[in-house]
Amino acid sequence: MKILVTGSSGYIGNLLAHKLADAGHCVHALIRNRKMASSLNHDNIRIFFGDINNRDEVKDAIKGCKQVFHVAGQVKPWIKDPSIMYRVNVEGTSNVLEEALNAGVDKLVFTSTCGVIGPSLNEPMSEKHPRIIGYTLDYELSKKMAEDIVEQYIARGMNIVIVSPSKVYGPGSISHSLTYNAIISRFLRTGIALILYPGHYQGCFGYLDDVVNGHILAMEKGIPGEKYILGGVNISYYNFFQQIKEIYGKGKIIQVPKFIIRGWAYWQWLLNKLFDKEPLFTPAAINHFYRNYIFSSEKAISDLGYQITPFDEAINKTIQFLKPSDHA
Amino acid sequence: MPNTVYTLITGASEGLGKALAFECASRKMNLILVSLPDSSLFELADFIRWNFKVSVFAFEKDLSHSCGCYDLFHEIEKQKLQINILINNAGMGGTVLFDEGNPAFYEKQIGLNVLATTIITHLFIKNLQNKPPAYILNVGSMASFFCLPKKQVYGGTKSYIYYFSKSLKRELKNKGVSVSVLCPGGINTNLSVTLLNKSVPWASKMSIMNPEDVAPIAIDGLLRKKEVIIPGRWNKLFLVLYKILPASAKKLMTNYTMKKINHPQWYAHYLLMPVSQANPAA
Repeated sequence: MKILVTGSSGYIGNLLAHKLADAGHCVHALIRNRKMASSLNHDNIRIFFGDINNRDEVKDAIKGCKQVFHVAGQVKPWIKDPSIMYRVNVEGTSNVLEEALNAGVDKLVFTSTCGVIGPSLNEPMSEKHPRIIGYTLDYELSKKMAEDIVEQYIARGMNIVIVSPSKVYGPGSISHSLTYNAIISRFLRTGIALILYPGHYQGCFGYLDDVVNGHILAMEKGIPGEKYILGGVNISYYNFFQQIKEIYGKGKIIQVPKFIIRGWAYWQWLLNKLFDKEPLFTPAAINHFYRNYIFSSEKAISDLGYQITPFDEAINKTIQFLKPSDHA
Repeated sequence: MPNTVYTLITGASEGLGKALAFECASRKMNLILVSLPDSSLFELADFIRWNFKVSVFAFEKDLSHSCGCYDLFHEIEKQKLQINILINNAGMGGTVLFDEGNPAFYEKQIGLNVLATTIITHLFIKNLQNKPPAYILNVGSMASFFCLPKKQVYGGTKSYIYYFSKSLKRELKNKGVSVSVLCPGGINTNLSVTLLNKSVPWASKMSIMNPEDVAPIAIDGLLRKKEVIIPGRWNKLFLVLYKILPASAKKLMTNYTMKKINHPQWYAHYLLMPVSQANPAA
């Protein structure tokens, strides 16, 4: 079967394209950056260079496809011109959906994010829970707007399933600077992890392999119009690094107080204003760090058969994958 | 449970009301939440109970009609619930040229912002006095101070809230009920307001806060029996400026905040997107 995967050069999209191709499907891989073509070397993968903001290019890539995974999205903690994020995540999504509708695609899986559901209180959030804070981050807001557009197309009768991955880590062919891989990798390299004080705030860590399998399961079994959280283990940041430390055998976890984090954010803001240096995080984003982001994948587990790799095993594989080679 | 006391919050399903509900629940206060029918209030109540293990009652009432206020009162009386904090949060905003506005909307706006606050406060005042120290928090606005174009009715209702609260505070001073008025600037209450707030001029943007940041300030102020609660450094600064500046400068300031709003392209696109868009293939 012909299947379109947008964003096939991304962290999730790339492994997804490979898994589908390995399963014998003919994958149409839509990517923007020609340099990334080498990451899609596979007999069953056909590369289409194009941008989801260009309807004609989407139309070419979608031709003949029965299924679409719309994975492409702009994921950045900070962006100089936020309108780019909205153009890609909101307008890009409406372009893909419109062309999918025109092409008579059977089913589409849209990759959103747990960020739309937002931070949690004391208990893990599920798909139906109300958002507890406003939309401060452009990324979360743009994905929420994209979900609203998806809802409109669902109302028009399209078979669309929304999947919402949490934070994702684990071996993958693309090492994206934003994934937790980069943070784990830095910990292994430098031996130091800087985490917030207090370190009890919890996050939800999904293993890439699980999350990609979850996409495929959502296409197979997902009920159109439904949303499925594809998460992983809910664990505090302190324990997360503690586990890595135990497996890797070394490393130091340093808890940084809030005023330093805040000062650091303003320092980055200043560097950005003066020298156009891209910040790692902004003063506005700090409050998000002091919240739990924990999610329940129960719905995906019971309805799709989603599986979560045990944390020990997943983190072990990730460390083996990321650890600095001896000769380096 | 004769010793159980409740915090009553109107307009609790969204925006500031929801944030106030989370804030109070996190301080282990039991809640009575009120909002419009079909606003997912019961789900919100379940969610709060599950997360904070506090007692939560939910009532869906349209308070813009006085009968909604009386219904609410009778149901709470029937359940014999003791209230020690009343938060009159339900309100309707709106930015529109007066002659372009709809009188039916103005009626509803005045009904909710002015009448509902007045009637509910009157109905529950005895209940509150049973359990001193009791607190009333009315949600006003920075528009109580600034005379902003396109906010004639809204600003008028919020000026009423400001006067009403301060006057009532003096009356109830020795009766164990403290009255506070919260005067926030713009708040990112829901998705469309958040989007709109992204495209306002700089000074207005500085005044805008998120509900989850306003809520703790509001509850702290309420418990400290502050008369007027102004959340945010910028809002405090604007208010000081406004008090000391000459009239001509004030005019400039308020006109500036109402400057023509240019929506970014992506935003306009989002608003225009809806399903009604003709499908070329269909």
